[in-house]
Amino acid sequence: MTTLRWRAARLLEHSAARALVPLLCVLLLGALFHADGAFFDWQAHRSMLREISVVGILACGMTLVIVTAGIDLSVGSLVGLCAVCVALFTMPLGLPDGVGVLAVLALGAAAGATCGALVAYPRLQPFIVTLAMMVFARGLAKWLAGGQKVTRSFRGPDGDFVTVPSPRLFEAIDTRVLGDNVSVVTLIFLGCAFGCWLVLSRMRIGRYLYAVGGNFEAARLSGVPVRSTLVFAYALCGLLAAVAGICQAAQETHGDPETGMGYELDAIAMVVLGGTSLAGGRGGVGLTLIGALTLGYLQKTLSLNAYSTEARLMLTGAILIAAVLFQRRLARRAA
Amino acid sequence: MSHDASPALFELRSVTKTFGATRALDSVNLELHAGEVHVLAGGNGAGKSTLIKILSGAISDYQGELCARGLPLRFADPGAARRHGVLTIHQELSLVPTLSITDNVLLAQGGRGWSFVSRRRASQQAAQACLGVGLDVSAETLVEALSISDRQLVEIARALHMGGARLVIFDEPTSALSDVESRRLLDRVEQLRASGCAVVYITHRMHEIRRLADRITVLRDGQVVLTRTRDELDDGELVRAMLGHDPSDQVRSGPAHVGRPRLTVRELPLGDGRVSFELHEGEILGLAGLMGSFAAALLLELFGAGAAARAERVQLEGRPFAPRSPGEALAHGVALLASDRSESVIASLSVLANATLSSLRAYTRLGFVSGARERADVQLHGARIALGAPSLAADAGTLSGGNQQKLALVRCLLTRPRVLLLDDPTRGVDVGARAEVHERVRELAQQGASVLLFSSDLDELCELCDRVLCLRRGSVVFESRRGDFDRERLLRALLGTSA
Repeated sequence: MTTLRWRAARLLEHSAARALVPLLCVLLLGALFHADGAFFDWQAHRSMLREISVVGILACGMTLVIVTAGIDLSVGSLVGLCAVCVALFTMPLGLPDGVGVLAVLALGAAAGATCGALVAYPRLQPFIVTLAMMVFARGLAKWLAGGQKVTRSFRGPDGDFVTVPSPRLFEAIDTRVLGDNVSVVTLIFLGCAFGCWLVLSRMRIGRYLYAVGGNFEAARLSGVPVRSTLVFAYALCGLLAAVAGICQAAQETHGDPETGMGYELDAIAMVVLGGTSLAGGRGGVGLTLIGALTLGYLQKTLSLNAYSTEARLMLTGAILIAAVLFQRRLARRAA
Repeated sequence: MSHDASPALFELRSVTKTFGATRALDSVNLELHAGEVHVLAGGNGAGKSTLIKILSGAISDYQGELCARGLPLRFADPGAARRHGVLTIHQELSLVPTLSITDNVLLAQGGRGWSFVSRRRASQQAAQACLGVGLDVSAETLVEALSISDRQLVEIARALHMGGARLVIFDEPTSALSDVESRRLLDRVEQLRASGCAVVYITHRMHEIRRLADRITVLRDGQVVLTRTRDELDDGELVRAMLGHDPSDQVRSGPAHVGRPRLTVRELPLGDGRVSFELHEGEILGLAGLMGSFAAALLLELFGAGAAARAERVQLEGRPFAPRSPGEALAHGVALLASDRSESVIASLSVLANATLSSLRAYTRLGFVSGARERADVQLHGARIALGAPSLAADAGTLSGGNQQKLALVRCLLTRPRVLLLDDPTRGVDVGARAEVHERVRELAQQGASVLLFSSDLDELCELCDRVLCLRRGSVVFESRRGDFDRERLLRALLGTSA
């Protein structure tokens, strides 16, 4: 009995093990309240993966920023801005898909880098800077879209309504592959997660990100290029927001300036559920992946059991706090 | 001093405290008498802080008993200890920096949150308390405007103001102070002893033990190695007791091998003055200075972390040297070991990542870090400096203070510095780690690197340096070669009583 407890304690020293506990609890809930077996159907899991993918992409970038002890509130608005832009570029402007995508990715990275530069050089607080960018980007999206959705039907130069075919890009993203099992968006999400994992755990810049978040002054005195490291984190987060925006536009087949509202909060929730501390210097993308699954399964279980949106929101909030408190207790016990 | 007649003021009887599998204290016996300064000595991790926590009520679940005047009792919390007259001056001060001295004194008094306080009376009382410890500032001064040593005096004033002090515990109070400021504090400790308090005093500094101690207890690995009165114990025996073996730290012998000048500083504006000196190959040059001497600022400036770069003032190997960032200085082979561990070690990062943070470029190809080579190098350097870390993957924050400082030094050494700047490298570090750090610094100088050492510990300067410069308000007021200076001369030069 004691050796078992000791082993459990040793296991819980790993932050991934602590993150898995809430996920297992949520899976257990899903299995108990399986809604007449719907939870055991592959279909449920497949659609859950698809539903968390766009926010999951944001959560990958958010992890990089949170590791530097920052926060990026602008990613939800950037999703809206980038969705509008990719729709504008490919449909009314008729640019080739590749050019449109590159331009939007550059736009997202530039918006992120702007935030990063404001955090790094005048040392403004990330919360303030990205709050400002959140408001600005939403306004820009609405202005560019002229207050309405950018669809494939639009008023042409001669004043008549024209309708163009949906860009091939949208169809390519909004399909399922591997025997109609996994949607392309999910693959993009996993690809982004792998990329961020490489950056954080295998690359020099990853070490610098942890160092800057752990102790800014010590990192500076160790010769870490602290300012460019910060700019990099926010720029990459912005780039991933652009990827998410393109995916969002493809799934909705139009550019909605209102889309992505509140996504930044879901992304932060995924990071925190994984056990990455907002204090910075710790955590990782693997944890965020676990957090994303936890949040996804929680919402899937609630929706399968036909809870109303109101009840779902309230329950999600309560369970979020419970999961974080629980993980902290585990961490204390392991220490 | 005969204490046989009356029972001790406080007494620990076979106290044992375990944390998980580790025994922090192992059947410790300790007697504390009124009017006596009892010095606790021992390396980091010897159990001193656990002992203090038990005496001050921060730990209440231990085996064994604590007696006051022969009667057993157990403090449930720090408040209970305070009610029994046990006051603790912690290493990390417990003042609120954004409040005034008066407010901080009021905070400590506690009382009910909703009771009204007469500001005028409180202010007068606080001012009186400050005068009692020789601190001459307005009680309305914000604590953040005070120097570290003044804050410490406020802390002591506050403790004494509450009254009824029977036992005062000092946990390395001088580790952040310069020599002159320490003297002021030691005077207060003697004053407390004269007033009949029992004092527990923890320090790593030999000359403080020599001056203060009536009785010394040495702890090692949670056990009492010895308890003696001051007269029964000589310095060598004391160091041996703390280390458990003979010290390897010897005074640097022989004439210094001094090569060509490596770093030339000419008329560099610093504080109110200007500084000129040359640092040679293979030389250890000491900087002595009190608070406000700008010695530490000089190191930061040379490291590119200061206010402004002045290319025409500093030359490195004959070329103008004006780094705009620490990264640039490191690229030129200039490394800095920061004084404050909170500015050198990143607690949330692993030992490995901390060690190679400054030299990471050497272990990177196409942006990716090569783990194996990195690991091998850190293991090698770690073993050489006797770095006590559970594993390379452990968080650096879990290491003891001495090991964190060793780790910070390993980081500097891995950059293969040609000039090593040391900013008070062994402040608050135990005797063993101090000796290891000194050994590595000597070795580096032997290999031809130049070392510029600022230290608030004059013994350290005397042990290590080939040459010492004394700084006062940004000017060199005294320069001396090995053999021509000792502790007393340096102190006199710093105080300005003789040049």
